[in-house]
Amino acid sequence: MHLIEVFQYEWAIRALVASMLVGLMCGVLGCFIVLRNMSLIGDALAHAILPGVVIAFVVVGYSTLGFFVGSVAAGLLAAAGITWIQQNIHTRNDAAIGIVFTAMFSIGVMGISWISKNEGVHLDLKDFLFGNVLGVANQDLYLTAGVAVYVLASVVVFYRYLFISTFQPVVARTMGISVKLIHYFLMLLLSFAVVASLQTVGVILVVAMLITPASTALLLSNHLKTVLVLAGGIGMLCAFSGLLLAIAIETTPGPAMAVTATFFYLVAAFFAPRRGLIFRLLQKRNLRRRILLEDILKQSFRLQEEAGNITEVALLERLTFRSAILRRGLAALRRRGWMERNSLLLTPAGAEQARRLVRAHRLWETYLAHQTGLDAEQVHEEAERYEHLLPEYLLDEVDASLGYPTIDPHGEPIPEKGE
Amino acid sequence: MTTAISVRGLSVSYDRKRILSNIYLNLEAGYIYGVLGPNGAGKSTLFKAILGLIEPNAGEIRIVGQPIEKMRKQVVYVPQASEVDWNFPATVLDIVIMGRYPHKKILQRLDEQDRAIAQAALQEVGIEHLQARQIGELSGGQQQRVFLARALCQQADILLLDEPFVGVDATTEEHIIGILHRLAENGKTILVVHHDLSTVGQYFDKIILINQRLIAAGDVATAFTQENIAKAYSSQLPVLHQTGLLE
Repeated sequence: MHLIEVFQYEWAIRALVASMLVGLMCGVLGCFIVLRNMSLIGDALAHAILPGVVIAFVVVGYSTLGFFVGSVAAGLLAAAGITWIQQNIHTRNDAAIGIVFTAMFSIGVMGISWISKNEGVHLDLKDFLFGNVLGVANQDLYLTAGVAVYVLASVVVFYRYLFISTFQPVVARTMGISVKLIHYFLMLLLSFAVVASLQTVGVILVVAMLITPASTALLLSNHLKTVLVLAGGIGMLCAFSGLLLAIAIETTPGPAMAVTATFFYLVAAFFAPRRGLIFRLLQKRNLRRRILLEDILKQSFRLQEEAGNITEVALLERLTFRSAILRRGLAALRRRGWMERNSLLLTPAGAEQARRLVRAHRLWETYLAHQTGLDAEQVHEEAERYEHLLPEYLLDEVDASLGYPTIDPHGEPIPEKGE
Repeated sequence: MTTAISVRGLSVSYDRKRILSNIYLNLEAGYIYGVLGPNGAGKSTLFKAILGLIEPNAGEIRIVGQPIEKMRKQVVYVPQASEVDWNFPATVLDIVIMGRYPHKKILQRLDEQDRAIAQAALQEVGIEHLQARQIGELSGGQQQRVFLARALCQQADILLLDEPFVGVDATTEEHIIGILHRLAENGKTILVVHHDLSTVGQYFDKIILINQRLIAAGDVATAFTQENIAKAYSSQLPVLHQTGLLE
């Protein structure tokens, strides 16, 4: 089927709108679930709603509203059951969650096969497990929209309460906020979101819509409000592109959305500014390069100071790396204007840099020897590392607190602060 | 002389283990109290009881004559830095303005006045230039300043600080104690759980020395004596011996 043509059909539009609403709502709500370390609870609630659907079916027949009420009741029952076990029985928290939700899920699965056999109606278990977004009816869509509005409005209205009770529950309590009430309210919202997602992604994959976009957003921002907006946006994007992918390659939409969500997560994990793997790798590499250059600079400076002339051989003797690396380092120093073009002598700018390094090294040695009583050899090794990392203002403080010393523990002069 | 906090016959146990036993205290407004005692003496439990976070087995606590539930706005708690999730997506300003939350009804938004109070608090502790930073990107001293700023922002009459000087640089420690002294001069009551016995005389007006029981309470000069300190800190030894024998 052609991708654009598909959206001439009403069922496709309904599927798209329903999926994006679910993406938005789960993304926003998911941030709190992730920050409260409640991912497993989210998964558990999703699985636990199945017996609620079965009972609703037996009582009122095939009704969207009936399923909704039954599921929310089952979800809350699971939440209460888990909390009860955690508080009254000596079973570990995550084990309690596992026990409750697998039991309820199994009862639900047995119920559905019983209905299919005895009630003469065919309920497809697969639709509950993985969703059937292409079969979304208008009634389902209204319900999803209503729930999404309710969930988002709740997050906006109770934002302060959710924020502080997630960040510091104890402080929230000293402010008179009922942390327990907030917890159960969040459970209620979570059950709502799970039920509304039933048709789109199904009970097994709803947790992907809850935690993956939220975790992606948490990699991208340090500000909770921004994280919430991003998570909602990413959730919608996952739903949209997942649905397109599913139609294009003719597969089940739920899993396609979960896979897309994971894809965006991986992109963020690698490429996110500051928190991404690549950014951190580059940072590490830059630091290594800087240390290399600074080591060459320092040794050149000292050779110049002690011997009056510098040769590559003498430098290599003092440094631990091979000559090829030294040559590359020397070229980089020349590019920066820290070393003369046709000799190994430092330029005035290079000498100033080197002096700062030597000052950092010897000040830190003095400080360590003074504070910890480590011997001269030990403080040298420490200072070899920290001379590259200590910012100028800290060094000035160290200098002042030591009373502006003039020689280090090895008896070598400490250069004064440059201009 | 007004009584800020009165504690009458407070006893607290966890899992049948006695933490605090029959404590009587009368804390006057306008002073800085150092809450001292060895590890496990029940200092944090005393705080939790005053804050109404735990249900005591016996006893009664009144904040200016009222139960804590009616005085929540007036009592602010600064927990230990080790209990904070520093990776949380929150900026310095986000945290400080939380001090305004108790003053707001559910549907009330934070307004210009709240923001002005938060800015003033940031300025007072000297971190207004860091307000957009994520809290994990700060030094230990700066982090403690953030939580003091939140306490100031709440404009409460009673401040409870749990080990505010752990992991804090000397400059910050001085700055914080300076602010606390100014608050006390303005009639606020301040309780500080503290470990460094060498600074007690410098920092506090009065002390509360506890080790499950109340050992001493009162002016530093009269209560912080060698004898009382020995009483509070040595009682851990026989207890350890006993449990060693029981095992």
